[in-house]
Amino acid sequence: MPSQANAALPPGYQLEEYRIERQISLGGFSIVYLATDKNGEPVAIKEYLPNSLALRAEGNVMPAIAEENLAIFRYGMKCFFEEGRALAKIAHPNVVRVLNFFRANETVYMVMQYESGQTLQEYIQRNKGEIGERFIRLVFTRLLNGLREVHAHKLLHLDIKPANICLRMDEQPVLIDFGAARQTLSTDGPLLKPMHTPGFAAPEQYQNARRELLGPWTDIYSIGASMYACMAATAPQAASQRLEHDQLVPAVKRWLGQYSRQLLEIIDWCMQLNYLARPQSVFALQKAIADKRRSVPKQQGTLFDNLYKRVQSLIK
Amino acid sequence: MKFTIYQESRPGRRPLNEDRVAYSYSRDALLMVVADGMGGHLRGEVAAQIAVQFITEAFQREAKPGLRDPFRFLSGVIADAHRAILGYAVDHALSETPCTTCVACIVQDATAYWAHAGDSRLYLLRRGRIRAQTRDHSRVARMVEDGLITAEDARWHIARNRIFSCLGGAGTPQIDLSEKTPLLAGDTIVLCSDGLWGPLDDAMIARAMSSGNVMQAVPALMNQADVRGGENADNLSLIAIRWESSHTEDASGGVSTEIMPLDHFTTQIEGFSRVQESAQQELNLSDDDIERAIQEINSAIRKYSK
Repeated sequence: MPSQANAALPPGYQLEEYRIERQISLGGFSIVYLATDKNGEPVAIKEYLPNSLALRAEGNVMPAIAEENLAIFRYGMKCFFEEGRALAKIAHPNVVRVLNFFRANETVYMVMQYESGQTLQEYIQRNKGEIGERFIRLVFTRLLNGLREVHAHKLLHLDIKPANICLRMDEQPVLIDFGAARQTLSTDGPLLKPMHTPGFAAPEQYQNARRELLGPWTDIYSIGASMYACMAATAPQAASQRLEHDQLVPAVKRWLGQYSRQLLEIIDWCMQLNYLARPQSVFALQKAIADKRRSVPKQQGTLFDNLYKRVQSLIK
Repeated sequence: MKFTIYQESRPGRRPLNEDRVAYSYSRDALLMVVADGMGGHLRGEVAAQIAVQFITEAFQREAKPGLRDPFRFLSGVIADAHRAILGYAVDHALSETPCTTCVACIVQDATAYWAHAGDSRLYLLRRGRIRAQTRDHSRVARMVEDGLITAEDARWHIARNRIFSCLGGAGTPQIDLSEKTPLLAGDTIVLCSDGLWGPLDDAMIARAMSSGNVMQAVPALMNQADVRGGENADNLSLIAIRWESSHTEDASGGVSTEIMPLDHFTTQIEGFSRVQESAQQELNLSDDDIERAIQEINSAIRKYSK
């Protein structure tokens, strides 16, 4: 992938009925802008622009796409459509809402509701080590309602992390940035390089050849890691490193006394390296969280997990 | 009728998917069918295709909107599908007749009726336990039942894939009919090919499907079978419904047939060499495709916004 980054559309640029205010973020596949619609309401606009395939030079509007990249550029567009198509059907208070979709400048744009609050990432930075159990339960219970809706539409998020969880003023969390999302059931042609964030991505996301292992349990690992990060105030050890040398201190060992055993056990359950040992659905996880009397179902034990790690390192 | 239904068929690690699955429902009756065309035989997928199509079409002719006698329908239509496959072989001068398993289920008046030939299975799950299931038409399965070998032995038995009843085969197929089985709200019916049940055991299937959410449980169970099937994973197919009583709140993604016109059918047939098709489409996204996709997304946005 070339190191050169794409130039963003300039502030003040009129993109159809929207006015670009500023760039919010820049990823390998897209640029997200803060813009205002014709009523002056803020919206977030995501522009499909994979920088390995299409380059926009400073001062230009049209990206340059090499002839030989056109087919792959359009294949990637298909993934962008899948994201839009799935999100369009989800109207849930805890999932970012898509408002419009259009084509311009030889590429495509997705307009989303703009979430003005802070991200959970920022909240963790501001409240280092002082996030209470009540807050964690409140945020994640609601977030899981949204995630359940996402999975019901056969979509996996695949990049859940505190930076992709937005907290509205009333602490209502909203799951944002489905850029890594792929519909699980679509058969695959060539793959664009998958994205994931170390610390929050599940082990199976590091194994490109084994995409069939991805499932609800993959997002559930990231949920567990995000809860862990709320307590630790930093990202947990990356799963790829854990497979080689697991130094992650289980939540139960690290914070017993500060948080309830049940919540800590749930975090450890979500962060099992073996995907079969985690909660297999959001529903199962929600049930465990809601049931405060009972502790987590018996885990497969460390023996099994160690064995699994050894097998995994052999495969690599 | 109120139910949630989900079906999926995958090639596993085989180059060709010879499984076919379909469901169809009218206001008062639901049909589900799984056929597993036999590898080693000439054009197994043709036999499976004929069986599924033939049965689905007969259902749509006769269920208006209910079937007079579901058992008579099932036994008759499966025997007819067998003859249709033989006829195809004659018409196309095939040296060997293709053949296929078949399991079909009708739900009508909150009662399930099913019939099968071969080793594609039906499970009826109630409160996480297997309430009823088909008996495979294979000698190995009968040996397990008679206590001659264990289930674990059967998994590796050299003749585990040999069946003594199928559609299109040399003899007249043996078609087993179920009992007439009243359904309770929350019951789950699972139809599957041996590519699915082979790598798993009954308890795993019961556990996976007892969550009640077939939309999630089906893909998850397919993944499990796919992974455990390993390098030789056979074609695998699964249809599952969760039956809702007519009084429950609207389950998300569920189907309610109450408002369907009397002569209307909703039909899904799956398993047509999907892999090759989609691979080609993906590399040829035309301007029209892009416009269509954008229109589709925008109409979905409008539809789902309040």
